[in-house]
Amino acid sequence: MTDDSRSDNEVSDAELIERARLADDAALDLLVRRHHASAYRVALSITRRDDVAQDVVQDAFIKAFRALSGFRGDASFRTWMMTITANEARATLRKRGRWSESAIDDVGPIAADEPDPAEQVVSGHESARARALLETLPEKQRLSVSLRIDDGLSFREIGEMIGSSEGAARVNYFHGIRRLRELME
Amino acid sequence: MSQTECGTVREFLPDFAAGRLGLEQLRAIEAHLPSCTECRAELELIRVLLEAPPVVPDRLADEVVSAVRMSRRSVRRPWWGISAAAIAAIALGIGISTDRPGTVLGPVPDFASEADEGEAWLSDDGLLAGAPSIDGLSDEALLELLEELSGEGAA
Repeated sequence: MTDDSRSDNEVSDAELIERARLADDAALDLLVRRHHASAYRVALSITRRDDVAQDVVQDAFIKAFRALSGFRGDASFRTWMMTITANEARATLRKRGRWSESAIDDVGPIAADEPDPAEQVVSGHESARARALLETLPEKQRLSVSLRIDDGLSFREIGEMIGSSEGAARVNYFHGIRRLRELME
Repeated sequence: MSQTECGTVREFLPDFAAGRLGLEQLRAIEAHLPSCTECRAELELIRVLLEAPPVVPDRLADEVVSAVRMSRRSVRRPWWGISAAAIAAIALGIGISTDRPGTVLGPVPDFASEADEGEAWLSDDGLLAGAPSIDGLSDEALLELLEELSGEGAA
């Protein structure tokens, strides 16, 4: 809770950031609690491993808060945080030698040492199957679909995150959706 | 329905399915769907995906908060600790670099001005530049060193 009469939800990210810059622990905590889920989904979408994703989220928040003085508010804090998380996730994969980024329109192969998520689907549960199939898409399509559906990001924000234009983010999203529908049939 | 309308509707189907739309957009999409098989099929897929979102570990937020706090403690130092480090570095510089007595004094005012209590996120470089040899010392050890150096100076 904040130290005034407002609830946590009424305090803007901008205000929390200002307070965090003045070493307000409560503000930092609230920023974590507000944005850790989005950061986790990004990390999981890129690393495809829960344990690695959790480590990535921790490291990303630590780095983000150390760099908070450099945050100018050009993008929302959430987008900024998710971008840092995405970069941290890719760096982690590179460090582990498992980097397998695919081109924009590729339906890229899963890395050889990775189990195929589609094959892991043993139940007929449609939602689980759709999620597993989503994991088989190339990273940019996967992220575009996930960020648009799960987090409600705009295509402009998604473009900032995946390092492409708003138009390319839109294309990635619709290619991903089309491919998923084909796989689900 | 036109392709243009369909394209616009498809962009907003995730928000429609997740209940993130205002009333006007909501009604526009509701009016479009009955006549568009493609949009209905796409909406169905989005709803299926939304039924099983990635589960965020319950303890993740607490663990991140703890990690952030630990990280901050490792970076942040009390103002007197920083001052002691800076002063000790200067004292060491004076004591050791007797052939260049004035060269270590330049950064002193900067360090002192940066050592306010509110500076929680100063980088290691900013805090420790110029004093690498005392980086590993505790605050208590730094104070002892400072007192020792002061004693030597007085003697």
